This record gives sequence, C-alpha cells and structure tokens, in this order.
Amino acid sequence: MSVHGNCGSQDEIWADKVKKIKVVCEMKLKIDTKTRAMVHLSSLLLRKYHGGHVAIRLALGGATNRPFYRIVAAYNKRSRDGKYIEQLGSYDPLPNIYNEKLVSFNFDRIKYWMGCGAHPTKPVAKLLGLAGFFPLHPMTITEAERRIKSEAKTQKEEEEDEEEKQAEQ
Amino acid sequence: MAARCAGRALSRAARSVINAEYNRAARSQTVQRLTCTAAPGSSSSGQDADRLKAVQFADAEVQDILNRITGLDLNKVFQPVKQELKPPKYRLLTDTQLEEAAHKAGTQAKKLLKMPPVLPERKPIEEVLCEDKMLEGMDKAKYVFTDITYNIPHRERFIVVREPSGTLRKASWEERDRLLQVYFPKNERKLTPPPMFKEENLKVMFGQNRHHAVLNYCLVQFEPDSAEFKRVHALTYEDIEKNGKYNLLWSTRLFGGLVWHLISSQRIDGLLSDMLQRDRVHDAESLVHLFNLAHPQSDSALQAQQQQASGLELLKVIILTYQQPPLVL
Repeated sequence: MSVHGNCGSQDEIWADKVKKIKVVCEMKLKIDTKTRAMVHLSSLLLRKYHGGHVAIRLALGGATNRPFYRIVAAYNKRSRDGKYIEQLGSYDPLPNIYNEKLVSFNFDRIKYWMGCGAHPTKPVAKLLGLAGFFPLHPMTITEAERRIKSEAKTQKEEEEDEEEKQAEQ
Repeated sequence: MAARCAGRALSRAARSVINAEYNRAARSQTVQRLTCTAAPGSSSSGQDADRLKAVQFADAEVQDILNRITGLDLNKVFQPVKQELKPPKYRLLTDTQLEEAAHKAGTQAKKLLKMPPVLPERKPIEEVLCEDKMLEGMDKAKYVFTDITYNIPHRERFIVVREPSGTLRKASWEERDRLLQVYFPKNERKLTPPPMFKEENLKVMFGQNRHHAVLNYCLVQFEPDSAEFKRVHALTYEDIEKNGKYNLLWSTRLFGGLVWHLISSQRIDGLLSDMLQRDRVHDAESLVHLFNLAHPQSDSALQAQQQQASGLELLKVIILTYQQPPLVL
C-alpha cells in the first residue's frame, strides 16, 4: 500500500484507486474493462457525487387526488420529481374501468441499470416481485396476511355487534 | 327452390356465351361424357386425394388469381378519400413523362390493392405462470404488467396479469390489444371498439351501401385473426351475397377476401352470374379455376380434371354440375 495523505495529490490517489478497482473487476468478475462499452460504474467512479448511487424509484406526478408514478433511474440525492437519467416505466395506482392497475416496465433497460449497480427502492422491488421479474418481496406477503387478519377482525366485530343488537331486541 | 333459381340464372347468363361458340352436337357429346364418367369418379378420388390438396388463401397461385379477378379500375381506386381541402396542383408534362406518371399511378394502385390477410381464428391464451396462494388478500384490483422494450414484435411481448387471488397469468388477447394500444398507439384505432360494429348499426351501414367503409374501419380497428374481425367480415359478406352487391367491392383490395369467403362456403353462383352479365368472362373462368383448386374433391373439379377443361369448358362443367351447397348449421 502506497503512502497517502500529504505525499500524493487527489488525482494520483484517484488514479490509484481506479487502477485497483479495474484489477479487482478483471480478476473477480472476469470483465475486460477496456474493451467493454462505457458502463456507469456508479458506485465507484463518481468524483463529485461521492457516496451516492443510482436508484430505480417512483417519481410522483399527476394532479390533486390523482397520483401517477413514473419508474425512473435517477441519482440518489436528486429530488424525487427532479432531473432523472432515464424513464424505465410507469405505474398508475388508481384502478381503471376494468379494475386494473396499469404498470409498465422497460425490462431491457432495467437489467442494464441493475447491472450498473442501481438500487431499486421498496415499492419498485414490490412491483417487480408481483410482476415475476424479482422473487416476491416478503413485505407483500406480510401485508396480505395483515389485511386478511384485519378483515377477519372487522367481520368478527360486526357479527358481535349484530348479536348484541338482536339480544337487546 | 333457391338452387333451381340460381342454376337457371347461371345457365341463362351463360347460354348466350355457349350458343355463340358451340353447336348442339358438341353439347350433347359433353352430356354423354358426363353420364359415362359419373360412376368411377368416386373410386378414383382416393388416388386423386394424394395429388390434389386443397389450396390455402396465402398460396402464390391463389393470390395471383384473386389479384387478376379484382381488376384495376383507377377511378375507383383513387376515389377521393375525405381529406383536408387542398388546392389542386397542375403540372406540365411531356408525353414520356405522362406515360411515366401513369405507370407510377399503376404501381401505387397495386400497393393500395394489397389484400388484407385471411388467417385462422386465434386460440385464447390460457397460460398461468405462477400460483401464489399466500397473496390472496393483497389487493382488490388486478395488476397488469407490460414490457415496453422497444425492439420486440408485439406478438412476442410479455403482458402478464396478477389477479387478486395471487395467480400470475398471461393476458388474454382482448387485454393485449387494449394495452398495446395504450402504450404503442396506432393511428385511428380506439381503445374500445366503436358502436358502429354492433349488429343494428352495421345494418344501417349496409342499407347505405357503405360496405367498403365498414371493412376498412374493421381492418384498422381489429387484428386480422381476432373473432370480432371475422364476425364483421362474415356479416358484410353475407349481406353482399344476399343482395348481389358484388360490384361495390370490385377493384378494391377487399374483393379477394369476399371471393375467398364465397369459395370456402361453395356459393359462387351469384358472383359468377354477376360477372357474366358484366361481360367479364375471363374473370369468371379464373373464378371457376380457383374454385376447382380450392375444392379438388367436388364434382366440377374432378370432371374438369378428367376432361382437361379450360376456358369456357370450365364454365360449362360448373353449370352442369352445380349443386346446392351443404347446409351449414
């Protein structure tokens, strides 16, 4: 390990890091980083945006009492509805006349961004799990169970209320 | 009764042609030949079946014949379509340039006359990808996931539906058509089919003789192998056949489909008599030839094969052997 800090300038430190990362990549992942096309190794080479990453998340749009989400690849620290890198799909949370919630995914580009090291957020991971692209998210199953329990509870309460009313009468 | 009338009409129309060319002796000879060869026809049909297979709509020969029958009436092909009003453009051309322009108009007309395909009806999609009982109470609405990758043909696109019961299944054809129109809209196609395609409204259109408009709109709105497409086309063709309005579709790209529908149901008598009345004898001959190709087991086909008939003899054969088509229940 070379001596850092006062001896080398920031550029030299960075060049050093990049060299090591490239060697690691070539050894572990067996990728030839020179002949590959330009890949956004986002978690490693962002000089101005140190510590950030690309996220695949829902950006809110629409109007009052009418939400509409765009599934978007954007830098983590950007605002939710601000400038994004690429739109990867859409999600309409309100069901239409056929009782369907329309979701669209550009799976080709999602695979690319996942390969570049993008992190999907929880709602996006849930939707992808429902679509069958990811394995089912555990929270989806937990929410389903919770909903069943609460519905059973409210049904029981209603039945008890009715019995009490009938008993009073 | 209807068969007799049809047969009489056919023979009336054709007699003018036959009497002009052939004398009575030739006619009596053909009648004798028919009676002699009627019996062994059934025994040789087994051998014929190997050689003569019924042709399909998409075969080159069939398309060739249908294109020839459709005709090329430039006035009707380039009929003014409702468009924005633009002032007419005048150009000064030499004779050779005029010929070239006419030639170009001919090729353009051929492009406009390209026949829409006749495909077998599509089978419903019933594939279930996954059954997750543990997701049962998750939501009351379905989730429909569409793949919007740009480079895939629409037929191979993944469109899946997650039901509230937890099953992940492929979307049905109607859902597919609707969602593809949402994400990849085509010009002039609506999400829900317009009320024009209901029975009562179709009758109104037929009353106004606007069959070509109905069929063109149907082509735009529905996929060629969907049930709706076939239903509308069948209704249109039935109406044309009932009222003998074959000339409405002549020289349009919809004529081939009409001819094929009539041939498949073996009811070409009306069309044949209409053609002969309008002095389109060559078209009538091609029509009979196509009928023999499509139904190689029918009487007229077998006898035409035995006599090596061509041209007007084909017409005689079919007039003499025409039968009421089997009732389709």
